[in-house]
This record gives sequence, structure tokens and C-alpha cells, in this order.
Amino acid sequence: MQRILNVFVKYRNSILYLFLLSFSLFFLKANSSFHKLKLEKISLLFSSNLYSFSNSINRYFRLEKENQRLQKENEVLKSIQIKFNAPFLYTERYNNKTNFPFDVQKVNIIKNSFQSQRNYIIIDKGAASGIRREMGVISAKGIIGLVQAVTDNYASVISILNQDIKINVRFKNRTAFGSLIWKGKIPKKFSIEDVVSTSSIKKGDTIVTGGMSSYFPYGIPLGVVTNLENNIQNGYYKIDAELFENPSELYKAYVIENSDFNEINSLMQNLKQ
Amino acid sequence: MNSQILKMIGSFVLLIIAQVLLFNQINIFGFINPMLYLLFLVMYPFDKNQTFYIFIGFILGFFIDFLSQTGGAHTIASLTVSYLRPIIIKYSYGLTSEKPKSLLTDPRKTNNFFFLLVFISIHHLIYFAIAYFSADAFLIIIKNSLFTIIFSLILILLISSLYKVE
Repeated sequence: MQRILNVFVKYRNSILYLFLLSFSLFFLKANSSFHKLKLEKISLLFSSNLYSFSNSINRYFRLEKENQRLQKENEVLKSIQIKFNAPFLYTERYNNKTNFPFDVQKVNIIKNSFQSQRNYIIIDKGAASGIRREMGVISAKGIIGLVQAVTDNYASVISILNQDIKINVRFKNRTAFGSLIWKGKIPKKFSIEDVVSTSSIKKGDTIVTGGMSSYFPYGIPLGVVTNLENNIQNGYYKIDAELFENPSELYKAYVIENSDFNEINSLMQNLKQ
Repeated sequence: MNSQILKMIGSFVLLIIAQVLLFNQINIFGFINPMLYLLFLVMYPFDKNQTFYIFIGFILGFFIDFLSQTGGAHTIASLTVSYLRPIIIKYSYGLTSEKPKSLLTDPRKTNNFFFLLVFISIHHLIYFAIAYFSADAFLIIIKNSLFTIIFSLILILLISSLYKVE
């Protein structure tokens, strides 16, 4: 206490000066609107810097929450996006709001592999969240695979990095369609088979999902054609494609739920019998 | 002792009245109003209590501001300059064994003049900087302070020479 008092006594002139200076600044501010404006400008400069600094720190601690909010928003946007890829296919149905059967649900990828020839993914939602077998799984810029097995809280997904899976694809703004198959080894390199050599396709064409399955809606962009050869002997193109997104580097995905899945499936069963 | 305090108070009041009623209305060349009230601050004895002196500087500026309706520029300028006075004295008179007691009694004329010049310059620069308070008015601030410094200096030198040295 004595020391504090000593400091006060020692610097009494400076303390008095600063006190009276701040008093006269208030006096100045109160008396002259011009000075008030100017002083407020200066204080705004300081306070805005200070607030932007504190805001940047606060933002860092809010990242988790913000991330979740954005994911939720993305989920909504994704469901709208996949619908608007092909409005002509999913027009308004009479007496019903829409006949677009697909809905999306966001999931986290908790295990992902790409080293083997038949890769699998584990996601952190399962039957409790309404995940069923044979649902499609997509990412921000492409598709990831199909749900294979489901437990209560988890599900396994056959990755498209699996040589057993064939995805029905089309070329954007063209009529041709084919099947997308992983070549193995490099995660982004795929080949497209079963494209008839009479169809017109160019290098650089965008590949989209074909919609010829109950898994994926029409028109999700997947990648581009990087190389094509017209093989005249067997009448099919030999096409190399590259995906927009590397499926092995993903942490977030969306599961696509098709509400008409059972209807379509029962028809398929009838056909098989 | 008592008569000295009375003299001080008398010159304090007189200078404020003279400043507000006379020197603020002079307008030499249209814009120069010499600030005579600084005379009180410069001739106040150097060896008195500094804390009280700062307070006097504040009160003096406050009265001038209050009576001449000028925001708070006189207050801030005279407060700052009275806070800085020991430093100005140190640099004007140098570190000598003979500490200056008062501007009026000290025989070193050059040092007295230098002290006055620095004191008035700092005051005027602060005053005009706050009165205009804008970086765009930099040249006007410099011009106004320069001319006003000259006139204030002459006036203060003249009037301080009228004081009777005891």
C-alpha cells in the first residue's frame, strides 16, 4: 500500500495532467460538435480495430458451431441442387407438392481407404437415423458410393473406388450414356465403358449421373472426359475420365434417400421372377 | 507574502479580462489574436509547487475557453504547456548550479528569450492544432501559429518588462 502511495506521489504531476487532459477533452467534446465528430471518428478507428481483433479470436472459438451451422445449410442447399440438375425430369406432380423423391442427410466419414482394389467407407449414421441399404452417398462435387451394410449407428459404404461397382453416367448436353468404373491405383482416374462409338462425345465433356437407378438422381456432376479413343473393331469408345473430387480425401458426405425406393425395388423383384 | 498572492490573483483576473475583452478582438491582419494570458504562466515563479502550477494552467485555460466560447482548445494547450514547463526550463537554461527562480528576475536574457519562444510556440501549436483538428489544415495551422507566436512573443516581452523587479 505504501508503495502504491509512493508511486502516486512520485507521478502526481503526470496523473494530474492526464486527469485534467481527459476532463478538458470531454469539455471539448461537449462544447463543439465539430470536435465531437472528429473525436468520434478517432475513437471509431481505435474501437473498430480492437473489435475486429477480438472478433477474430471469438470467431476462432466459434468455428465448431459455425461449421455445424454451415453443414446444416449445405444439407438444405444440396437437396435443392440435386433437384435442379434436371428440372424437366422432376416436374410438379398434379395434386402433390413435388414428385422429386430424393432427400439428403449429412454424415461424417469416419473411415476411408483407397489402397486396396475394393475400398470401403464407414459413416457415422445408421439405421437409427433412417439409413438403409443401397442408398446413394454423394459429396460436394461428386458421388462416393452406395450404402452396403447398416448397424444402429454406423453404416458401411462401397466406395466408388471399388472395381465391383459400376455407376450409370451420362454426358452433359449429350444423349450418350455409359458406365463409370474405377481403373484402380489412382483415386481420381476412372474409365467409362459401354459408350457406343456412334455417339458424339468430345474431350472435356462433363460427366453427370445418369439417373437410371434408384440410387442417384439425374445430373450430379462427377468429372470430365480427359481422353477418348474410338475403337472401331468392337464399336465402343475407350474413354478416360477424371473426377472433380478425390473420394479418398473426404470427411463429409450426404446420404441420398429415395422415398420411391421400395416401389422401384418391388418392380425389379417382379421382373426377376 | 500575502501581498504577493494578492498580486498574483489580481494579475490572473486582469489577464483573463484583458484577453477576453481586448486581445481576442484585435484581429491583426484579419486573423492574429495574440495570447497575452500566457504571461501569467511564464512569470509564475519557477520554484513553486509544480502540481499546483498544472492546476493553475488548467483553470486559466478553462476560464479563457469559458468566456470566449472556444470549445476546449485553450484549456488543453495551456494545461499541456504548464505540464511541460519544467522540461522547457531545463532545456532553456541548461544544467547550471544556479537554478532560475523566475523569468522576471533571471539575468540571462538569451535564455529568457529562448524559454519564452519555446513555451509560446508549443502552446500555440497545440492550440491551433486542436482548433482546426484536421490533417488537411496543416498549412493553416502552421501559418496561424507562426504569425500569432511572433505577436504574442512581442507583446509578452513588452508587458513583462513593465513588471517591477523586486
